[in-house]
Amino acid sequence: MPKLSADERLQRLLALIPWVASRDGPRVDDVCARFGCTQSELVADLELLFLCGLHPYTPDVLIDVDIADGRVWIRYAEYFARPLRLTPAEGLALLAAGRTVLATSGGDDGGPLERGLAKLASAMGVDAGEAVEIELGPVAEDLLSTLRSAAAGGRQVEIDYYSFGRDERARRVVDPYAVFSAAGQWYVSGWCHRVDDERLFRVDRIATATALDSRFEPRATPPELAAYRPDEADPRVTLQLGPSARWVVEQYPVEKVEEVEGGGLRVTLAASQPAWLERLLLRLGPQATVVGGDGGVAGEAARRLLVRYRG
Amino acid sequence: MHRLERLINLVAALLHADRPLTADELRNRLPGYAEDHGAFRRAFERDKEALRDLGIPVVLEPVDDAAQPGVVGYRIPKEAYYLKDPGLAPDELAALHLAASAVRLEGASGVAALWKLGGELGEQGPSSPSAVAALPGTAHLGPVFAAISARRRIGFIYRGRARNVDPWRLSFRNGHWYLAGHDHDAGEERMFRLDRVESDVEVTGDEGAFERPPHSGAQAPPWEMGGEEALTARLLVDAGQATWAAAHVGPDAVEAWRPDGSVVLAVRVTNRDAFRSFVLGFLDHAEVLGPPELRADMVEWLENLCPS
Repeated sequence: MPKLSADERLQRLLALIPWVASRDGPRVDDVCARFGCTQSELVADLELLFLCGLHPYTPDVLIDVDIADGRVWIRYAEYFARPLRLTPAEGLALLAAGRTVLATSGGDDGGPLERGLAKLASAMGVDAGEAVEIELGPVAEDLLSTLRSAAAGGRQVEIDYYSFGRDERARRVVDPYAVFSAAGQWYVSGWCHRVDDERLFRVDRIATATALDSRFEPRATPPELAAYRPDEADPRVTLQLGPSARWVVEQYPVEKVEEVEGGGLRVTLAASQPAWLERLLLRLGPQATVVGGDGGVAGEAARRLLVRYRG
Repeated sequence: MHRLERLINLVAALLHADRPLTADELRNRLPGYAEDHGAFRRAFERDKEALRDLGIPVVLEPVDDAAQPGVVGYRIPKEAYYLKDPGLAPDELAALHLAASAVRLEGASGVAALWKLGGELGEQGPSSPSAVAALPGTAHLGPVFAAISARRRIGFIYRGRARNVDPWRLSFRNGHWYLAGHDHDAGEERMFRLDRVESDVEVTGDEGAFERPPHSGAQAPPWEMGGEEALTARLLVDAGQATWAAAHVGPDAVEAWRPDGSVVLAVRVTNRDAFRSFVLGFLDHAEVLGPPELRADMVEWLENLCPS
């Protein structure tokens, strides 16, 4: 555990004092477990507290701290009778976490999480469901649970995966490391035996997942919850965008942006995957012109699509 | 003297005081502050800042003493400091604890909040799972949420214009945080993407200044967010993408599953541009079957992309 700053120790003490003071000698190890500290850290903080109190700091107005037989008592700290209220950011962090779990598990139907959130929200003057709304990418519940239990149990899975970037569908055997949501989408990270490399898969593009009997060694270090990994080797494309296509810079990781006359932009993007660039250009239509890179992409894609309409 | 000791004494003094304490009084009463005026002032400013960063409400008020007119002092109002006990049952606290360890909101910690609510559950609680979701944060989340809960009007710059908004709700969707509220300049409900707010969020109104309207929770897809005359588009999606497409538009929009695994969807469209974008995402794995005018729209759009 990293060493806390004086401010963080103060934050912990202001929460810990009321909790201990309102009980008759809780066990030191219980206090440590609840407030995430070691016994020596707790003792160091309490030794300071022992010297604190009110003016003129005579024994009768100092906080009384007693540690004996593995138990701890704090007395004469009435002004610390209740913890500090939650800050808006802290309250939001808890509400958002709870709402996220409800959104991914389909709710616990009046269970402890829903009840706890409702109480917490009402103490903050809001309604849990109305003030904070969380939508993660829509994925099938059973798919998520198959992947999660495979990741937790170190079992390989076979997935039927559609690669959006390559516009190709294939079966892959994967060692699933972790299932997580980032940037509004669900992902499973893992070792893909088809390409013999680490890959990130979007769960909404997995048509089916089957847990296999074969096992793998789970990784010791937790994976990073990151969805986007730019690669220096990816080819670049430069587009001239019309005024109504300026949103591109907000939706995609552009590397270079220049204003051009008439309200348009000239942007450079990494385009490792051809199908991705095709989609972008097809959607932008007359609002985008390729000025650097392969200029024939949109026309070829459009011709391919038209085959369906002229068949 | 350790700074932590001085900070505890400062909080105790300000919380216990039944009238505002002047800076001079604090310097004289609290051990650990320098005699030198400049050094005291610097240390005191830093301490106040540290307390405010933790969310401790240190207020500045007139001392209200006939002998010292115009003199101001500091105080921590008890009613603003003390947590209103939400009365969580042990299983509710455990569920919140589990949620806080599974979901990470960037820049905000649920841990400090859990300490205040009675501590982490440690060995009694369920084992901590690894993180399952990460939500991005923005600096505006805290102030905006504070304004939502206090129902206070806020002002900020968005897309180059000053906005006056009654904040109703925070929504996380498509990977971004949005604020929904009543925009007084537009005279209607608007959504603002928080990471595009171009200024600080300033509280401009009093508490309890408006009522939040009830929220339906349902969000229309982009192709239904437009004022065009409604059409029902029939869209064929090939087998490879059919499951995803059907899940995306919802079961009510499925007209028929075909034996080859493809699906025909019937989708209500009031925004043709958005619908076209949706269809083009399938590349050549989808086809607009009808009505004829939508199909013709698509053909024309594609033909314009082919060099003549």
